[in-house]
Amino acid sequence: MTDTEDHYNMQPRRKAEFYNPPNHLKLKVGNGGLTENILNKAQALLENNSVDFTPLAEMYLDAMMKGIEQARTPSPDLNKDTMIAAILFPGMQLKANGGMFQYQLVTQIADRFIQFIEVIDTIDPDALEIIIAFHTTIRAVILGRIKGDGGKRGEELITALIEACHRYFEKKQQTR
Amino acid sequence: MYSFDRVRILVIEDNQPMLDICRTLLLTFGVGEVLTARNGEEGFKIACKENPDIIIADWMMEPTDGISMTRRVRKDSFSPNHYVPIILMTGFSEKKRVVQARDAGVTEFLVKPFTARDLYKRIAQIIERPRQFVRSEEFFGPDRRRKADAVFNGPFKRESDVAAMAAQNIRKKEASLELDKLRKESGLSKTDKIGDIGIKRVDTKTLDMNKASEIDFDIDFK
Repeated sequence: MTDTEDHYNMQPRRKAEFYNPPNHLKLKVGNGGLTENILNKAQALLENNSVDFTPLAEMYLDAMMKGIEQARTPSPDLNKDTMIAAILFPGMQLKANGGMFQYQLVTQIADRFIQFIEVIDTIDPDALEIIIAFHTTIRAVILGRIKGDGGKRGEELITALIEACHRYFEKKQQTR
Repeated sequence: MYSFDRVRILVIEDNQPMLDICRTLLLTFGVGEVLTARNGEEGFKIACKENPDIIIADWMMEPTDGISMTRRVRKDSFSPNHYVPIILMTGFSEKKRVVQARDAGVTEFLVKPFTARDLYKRIAQIIERPRQFVRSEEFFGPDRRRKADAVFNGPFKRESDVAAMAAQNIRKKEASLELDKLRKESGLSKTDKIGDIGIKRVDTKTLDMNKASEIDFDIDFK
């Protein structure tokens, strides 16, 4: 018996049928890809878009704050996943859209925020404090209209938030 | 060079500035027609009516999100093309989210923020390396296995895998016969111990299949 036959996973094997749909797209577009010139032009358009991100960011920050308020005084019928989602989803929107509209620092901070939220089990007062710190920092970046990565100051802000997250997890480990 | 002028792409995005950006990028690529919708519900209706060549959808939308829209396109009897390539845009990049999207039948995953090149790469992938589709009891969509793993050691989940395993066993048997032949030529009988057939332990994560030295066997005749 081989290693693979002897695997502990003894779930029944699934019947699977395979299809190779005709590649109409290839027939339509032909060969050779796009030129560097076109890709550079598209990238330039993306980088030079003049959309004001601040109203969108304010909308996501407000939604996040509503989630924070909900978590601060949770109602008994509110489950943990719903509570986390109410904070996580606006954070994800900030991460997704910040960099598309020249606010790369917002994306970087929100990315760290998502990584934090995705791994915590529950929103306890310590976690809430960190979430509020992220919210306050992103809001400050938006109000200060700090575009790009924020330079050295941006780096310091991210480092401070990462350190706060580390302290949170260290504390959790000690109390276990 | 690609000519996208006969291609029609449907972009579904609830964030108007983002929708405008996607539209501009696609038109710059030379796409003939860019259809737009503001949520999954509206997007599905347009997909049914217009039968686009590619759908690019955001994940988080109200009332119908990109994942639910994908499921409908893949399974709903009103869907005009169950095989249409779907690119899902999202800020999520965690593995569990990618798996969730993959299991809904998404073809490609595009993490926001993205560059023009990132978007182009996903489209080129769909054109040059289209995924075969799989229908099983609980899944219909693009094959979720991206690459063949030459040193796969996990459980075989599909019936077709069993055929692959049988072929592997035949190859092993052939190798065994070859060893018997070598024994005979060396004047050894089957009961004689050939010695250690040491298989080099290799780190499969860093294994370079193009380097024969990393995947061969050390056979030590003592």
